[in-house]
Amino acid sequence: MKALILVGGFGTRLRPLTLSVPKPLVEFANKPMILHQIEALKAVGVTEVVLAINYQPEVMLNFLKEFETKLGITITCSQETEPLGTAGPLALARDKLVDESGEPFFVLNSDVISEYPFKEMIEFHKAHGGEASIMVTKVDEPSKYGVVVMEESTGQVDKFVEKPKLFVGNKINAGIYLLNPSVLDRIELRPTSIEKEVFPKIAAERKLYAMVLPGFWMDIGQPRDYITGLRLYLDSLRKKASPKLATGPNIVGNVLVHETAKIGEGCLIGPDVAIGPGCVVDSGVRLSRCTVMRGVRIKKHACISSSIIGWHSTVGQWARVENMTILGEDVHVCDEIYSNGGVVLPHKEIKSSILKPEIVM
Amino acid sequence: MEKVVAVIMVGGPTKGTRFRPLSFNTPKPLFPLAGQPMVHHPISACKRIPNLAQIFLIGFYEEREFTLYVSSISNELKIPVRYLKEDKPHGSAGGLYYFRNIIMEDNPSHIFLLNCDVCCSFPLTDMLEAHKRYSGMGTVLVSAESANQFGELVADPITKELLHYTEKPETFVSDLINCGVYVFTPDIFTAIQEVSTHREDQANLRHLSSFETLQSPTSRALPQDFVRLDQDILSPFAGKKQLYTMSLKCSGLYLAQFRYTSPDLLAGGDGTKSASFVGDVYVHPSAKVHPTAKIGPNVSISANVRIGAGVRLIGCIILDDVEVQENAVVINSIVGWKSSIGKWSRVQASSDADGDYNAKLGITILGEAVIVEDEVVVINSIVLPNKTLNVSVQDEIIL
Repeated sequence: MKALILVGGFGTRLRPLTLSVPKPLVEFANKPMILHQIEALKAVGVTEVVLAINYQPEVMLNFLKEFETKLGITITCSQETEPLGTAGPLALARDKLVDESGEPFFVLNSDVISEYPFKEMIEFHKAHGGEASIMVTKVDEPSKYGVVVMEESTGQVDKFVEKPKLFVGNKINAGIYLLNPSVLDRIELRPTSIEKEVFPKIAAERKLYAMVLPGFWMDIGQPRDYITGLRLYLDSLRKKASPKLATGPNIVGNVLVHETAKIGEGCLIGPDVAIGPGCVVDSGVRLSRCTVMRGVRIKKHACISSSIIGWHSTVGQWARVENMTILGEDVHVCDEIYSNGGVVLPHKEIKSSILKPEIVM
Repeated sequence: MEKVVAVIMVGGPTKGTRFRPLSFNTPKPLFPLAGQPMVHHPISACKRIPNLAQIFLIGFYEEREFTLYVSSISNELKIPVRYLKEDKPHGSAGGLYYFRNIIMEDNPSHIFLLNCDVCCSFPLTDMLEAHKRYSGMGTVLVSAESANQFGELVADPITKELLHYTEKPETFVSDLINCGVYVFTPDIFTAIQEVSTHREDQANLRHLSSFETLQSPTSRALPQDFVRLDQDILSPFAGKKQLYTMSLKCSGLYLAQFRYTSPDLLAGGDGTKSASFVGDVYVHPSAKVHPTAKIGPNVSISANVRIGAGVRLIGCIILDDVEVQENAVVINSIVGWKSSIGKWSRVQASSDADGDYNAKLGITILGEAVIVEDEVVVINSIVLPNKTLNVSVQDEIIL
């Protein structure tokens, strides 16, 4: 089976992290974002994954070779020379997605994390016999999104309504599709929206079905949702009683600590924390609801919450970092500094406190 | 015959972060200014020094960033220009000291030291003559300008000796600022070494000048081999009959944050068939400017740029491959490579054509490939590469 992952462009919403690394390679829960998806695809028998990108393939390709060998799956890139929207890339990658087998192929949005119940989706798709299946997820505020109006028992999709003013339903497109090759015949090689142009046509022919996504779902393309997403992800690890979660007297709630990270005495770590490889957390540090990327050093008595600390940065002694502070690569927060929502670009030194959210260039 | 060498400090990628977002693509010293990389201006000025043996660029960018430039400029000017990479930042004086053996190769009698961001008329030959008359260890080029942002020096009006130096003072000290251009005799190396060996922890945390960086961010003691020219050499040696000053006579210059200079290539045209130009304007030969556009003063238009009908440009730098569509207005801004400015849009800095250069964000900068849609207004903002602005913004940084 084949799969296409819509990686797209510059990941500007995840800056400053994406100033150092292309978005699919930004780690989430200590693993590159895209690897979460590729591993789940491999587990259901996908043999080839195509990445639809329009940016920096060279940087990606090196990493991908590594994954290819480790996972035993073929990974190729399909590069857009102009942005093709959410459907155009499928037309561009057409030759890679169809073969004589006539099997359906997966299409994923690269920012989405979930439990990836691909096996159930394949069964659902076979059972209804339609042309396309999409995952939908239930949200509290559907009018912020495009709502999928469907028949509850069969999942047959009636229509899509963009940001509805009156309540029409509470399920939105989760960005995970399983499509028959015939869908490609409906897509021209030009900037096209799959939600606005392609799916509505298939729905009108009563050939589009939606499955409610079990488990959690999050679009982690921006820092706030990335942090919420980590909580959901770690929670799902807890439900599966995963041995990856850290335990110990310093640990509260769900915490992931890479085996090469060192944590000092008297720390309190958690809930909802991920600590990456090679990190050094000195004694007396408090970490909650945060991600600490590879090679970070957190000095004694510091306190970090609801933030993301970029690769190889340092946080000084007694520093307090909170409220959606995002530190890019190689940022150094001096001792005793307070950062309230600072967004700091790579290679900066923070010598004076950031009292209210601001961007430090 | 007495030989002279010149050293230009170019810095490195972890410094010059204030030059973002433009420095994402290109090291700041190679950023184009009026058709030439920024560092070209001090280099050409050095070429005019009699008996110049070599020019050295010292910095901690990767060597490969400078290889092409250095070999082409050496060929063009017929003088050896070399890039010397520091393994780590040593400070402006420390860098000079670190490479002293190479610098002294030709046994020069005098060494010029220039900071790469400085654009001025560089009266280097006059400076050398003045220095020989004073017979001190070094001579600093100074200028009478509004000194709010820079270090201040006090000089004796008759002997021109440097009496006092202080960094970014909070009270008025003097109206002379340090232009970042110096000439020394080889005993500067001994002076730097003395500072290195006798370094002691400073009781007061000094603010660093705009070109320096602390090596170990959270420690207050500087490493022994990190020596800053201003605080560690100028300041202690002031008033000891070792250092002198020479005044820059051209006073119309703004040493603004980006230190851009008025290009000296006036675009041609008789006003009827080609665009009308006001003041100093540089237009690359491959650029196309619509006849109904009005350009200048102080505008630089780079290669392959297309300026549409009825466009007005004042005080701006338009980089390669930009398209400025009909009736748009761009004032006091830098428009990055491949960007597109929509019809009737307005891109400007905080105030109008007279520009308040001392305002913190008194310039608008669009990074590479930014799209400003039709009729959008962008004021006093910095936009990172690859963004599309479809709503107006003011006083913002757009990530």
